Amino acid sequence: MELAWYALLGLFFATYLVLGGYDYGVGLLLARGGSPAARRAALTALGPFFLGNEVWLVAAVGILFGAFPVLEGELLSGYYPAVLGALAGVVLVTAGVQLRSRPDGDRARSRWDRVVVAGSALAALGWGSLLAGLLQGLPMSAAGHAAGVTHLFTPFVAAAGLAMVALVAAHGATFLTLRLPEPDGATAARLARRLIPVALAAVGAATVVGLLSDRVRVGAQQPLVAVLLMSLLVTALLGARVALARRRPGLAFAATSAALALPVALVGAARWPWALVSGTDPVTGLAVADAAASAPTLSLLGWLTLPLVPALLGFQAMCWWIFRGRIDGRAPVYW
Amino acid sequence: MDTLLLARLQFATTTSIHFLFVVVTLGLVTLLVGMQTAGFLTGDPKWERLTRFWGQLYVINYVLGIATGIVMEFQFGLNWSGLSRYVGNVFGAPLAIETLLAFFLESTFLGMWIFGWHRLRRGLHLALLWGVAITAYASAFWIMVANSWLQNPVGYELRDGVAHLTDFGALLTNPTLGMAFGHVLAASLLTGGMLMAAVSARHLIRRTPDFALFRTSLRIGLVVAALAIAAVQGFGFAQFGPVGQVQPTKFGGGPGRDALVAEWTARFGPGDWTPPVLSSVGLGFMILIGLTLGCVWLLLPLLWRDAVIRLRFPLWLILFALPLPFVAVLLGWIAREVGRQPWAAYGLLPNSRAVSDVDAGLMLTSLVGFGLLLGALAVTNWVLLARHAARGAHDPALGRPPAPESDDFPRQPVLA
Ligand code: HDD
Ligand code: HEM
Ligand code: HEM
Repeated sequence: MELAWYALLGLFFATYLVLGGYDYGVGLLLARGGSPAARRAALTALGPFFLGNEVWLVAAVGILFGAFPVLEGELLSGYYPAVLGALAGVVLVTAGVQLRSRPDGDRARSRWDRVVVAGSALAALGWGSLLAGLLQGLPMSAAGHAAGVTHLFTPFVAAAGLAMVALVAAHGATFLTLRLPEPDGATAARLARRLIPVALAAVGAATVVGLLSDRVRVGAQQPLVAVLLMSLLVTALLGARVALARRRPGLAFAATSAALALPVALVGAARWPWALVSGTDPVTGLAVADAAASAPTLSLLGWLTLPLVPALLGFQAMCWWIFRGRIDGRAPVYW
Repeated sequence: MDTLLLARLQFATTTSIHFLFVVVTLGLVTLLVGMQTAGFLTGDPKWERLTRFWGQLYVINYVLGIATGIVMEFQFGLNWSGLSRYVGNVFGAPLAIETLLAFFLESTFLGMWIFGWHRLRRGLHLALLWGVAITAYASAFWIMVANSWLQNPVGYELRDGVAHLTDFGALLTNPTLGMAFGHVLAASLLTGGMLMAAVSARHLIRRTPDFALFRTSLRIGLVVAALAIAAVQGFGFAQFGPVGQVQPTKFGGGPGRDALVAEWTARFGPGDWTPPVLSSVGLGFMILIGLTLGCVWLLLPLLWRDAVIRLRFPLWLILFALPLPFVAVLLGWIAREVGRQPWAAYGLLPNSRAVSDVDAGLMLTSLVGFGLLLGALAVTNWVLLARHAARGAHDPALGRPPAPESDDFPRQPVLA
């Protein structure tokens, strides 16, 4: 039971990183300037998907609160700075993307674009740091509560935050390759091909720094799984590069999506059976089973919400289906 | 400054900002459903123009509802980890249900509605707006279930100091829920109606070109506001009974209160177990505003032969009354929330045990940071709303038809 909910939580958060990830990637790429029309086209590519993307985060936190209340409290307050940064980023992107085209002048619009760029960077840094912090462990008081915040300021957390920024940028460029009309799609493809090696390097650097850290080595209870998922991540990035070279943007997008989902799987599986680890040897922490809500709550949530999960996925799929393909002259422009 | 006070301040500021926007969302979406449905049934293009104009304001307003709502949701874990530790088994359930059953679909539908103009079949496009409205009501319902549980914890048993769910039905029949939910919905409709009437009044005063259009929305707004204020008063007075019964400390003294305070002192030790006076001040002024707004009924006879427009001064009255519902909703929440102090969950979990064990400096950073961020966004949003409201209905960006495909640029997006 707990495992199923833990998997569902992971699924929602991973999907958020995949879908929100390209929002932030496209947001970061606004920093390249470009003509007002080009920036508007990039936002039109996000178009109808934008609002449906960040709700995966809202739902993930809902599942966290409903099914893992104890974990919710310790996790969010224990990683306060990372969560705060990510949250501020999410708020800035949400407001920036939706409001940037409401003023008419180009000056006001470029100011909002800078808000989107800053928000995207903050969100990616924040979520990357949170995932790294989870691997590296959370110092706990004798009573088993999160203690202190300075534990987050380590080279590994910084490296992982930057790696997430690089990953979403590459993912965003790949998304644009898929959505923009030619010849802009080809320009985005060239950009994506340049960004993927950067992402690979950043992920590699974070891995090396992580391997050098005792706390990460202790925290990874299932080293084999961790290594396996890590190599999958690298393979996905290499695959994306090859697919882009062969003009298969759909395949490349699937690969970069996998690259954003895999870190969540890695952090979840590598520490199993712990939901939070202390980062000390021998490992203590909060086990997934102890973090879950009690049985009546879980079964209530199960009966009430699980039958509806297919409907939720169905309506999201409907949105992707209706607005699939490259944007064209008929694409409604609003953001 | 201690962490507890800062966390309370942060909750009060962010929720208040959140509510100022969602109250408009809930009210306007109901009116939009009516207008788009009328357009679908009659085929009169007037309704499509009305839907696009008010829909544009609705969508701009919605942005801050989301931005502040996300902060609210995280705040429980960030600042109130005791809440999830001790009562999360019960309190978390309605919040989880709400995110999965309501918010998730609401935003998905809204995205398709915004981008579906002239692209989806009209019936489907209308169904999407109905979906947005139904899920918005559902989310308000589940949020109110959660809030009502904090007002009056029911359906649980304590084991080792942690609350476990025993009877979910009790959460739905909570005496603090029914009348409050009706009151909140009525207040939202009132706010939406007043907003519509006031914006229309401004255009009619300035004699902008779209007379017929704003005449229609002025009438809709006034009638809705009149019906809603009656419901607001009804549900409002109806709350005193059930709430006074389960929360004897809320509306002033009496033997019930003294007995409860004595019991709490025995169980939790001596302390100040009565709420700050701010609560009853809020209540008093809200009721004053509620009774004042009842005067909307006096304007209804003036709808005959457009007297309300020709006399002009009623238009000014409507315009100046616009802040009142917004002030009233905040006062109402202050009455409800401050009135249950010093409890996070009434009689069960004191604030001091609910607050996170976070350094006061960090909490202050977060309070100031989010206060400034959300405050600045709120002001910007209102400026944008006012500008778009003033611009009029001739060509809102929402639902603008795409340019016809020309042979020169067959597949290029038209970017406005
Ligand atoms: C337009 C807004 C508005 C207006 C005009 C009124 N209210 Fe209200 N009131 C609210 C908006 C509101 C609210 C913001 O929606 C609250 C906060 C929580 C709730 O349930 O509704 C509220 C709370 C609230 C409470 C507190 C319930 C509790 O503590 O649990 C009472 C007793 C009343 N109201 C009663 C009234 C009466 C008798 C009114 C006028 C005749 C009135 N309200 C006008
Ligand atoms: C259903 C949704 C809501 C929930 C679950 C909720 C929950 C809480 C919590 C946990 C606190 C902090 C603990 C405490 O001080 O008791 C609080 C305080 C407060 N909330 Fe609410 N709240 C909700 C809705 C609102 C809304 C919509 C408003 C205002 C518009 C509001 C206004 C306040 C205020 C003013 C305080 C500060 C009271 C004080 O600390 O003295 N609340 N609420
Ligand atoms: C403390 C409790 C609350 C929390 C945690 C909360 C959370 C949220 C969140 C996360 C969103 C954004 C959803 C999205 O991404 O689309 C949101 C929006 C919304 N909330 Fe709240 N909220 C609270 C209080 C309330 C109250 C008291 C009401 C009404 C009675 C309300 C009504 C709404 C509505 C109608 C929306 C959707 C429309 C919009 O975004 O403007 N909320 N809320």
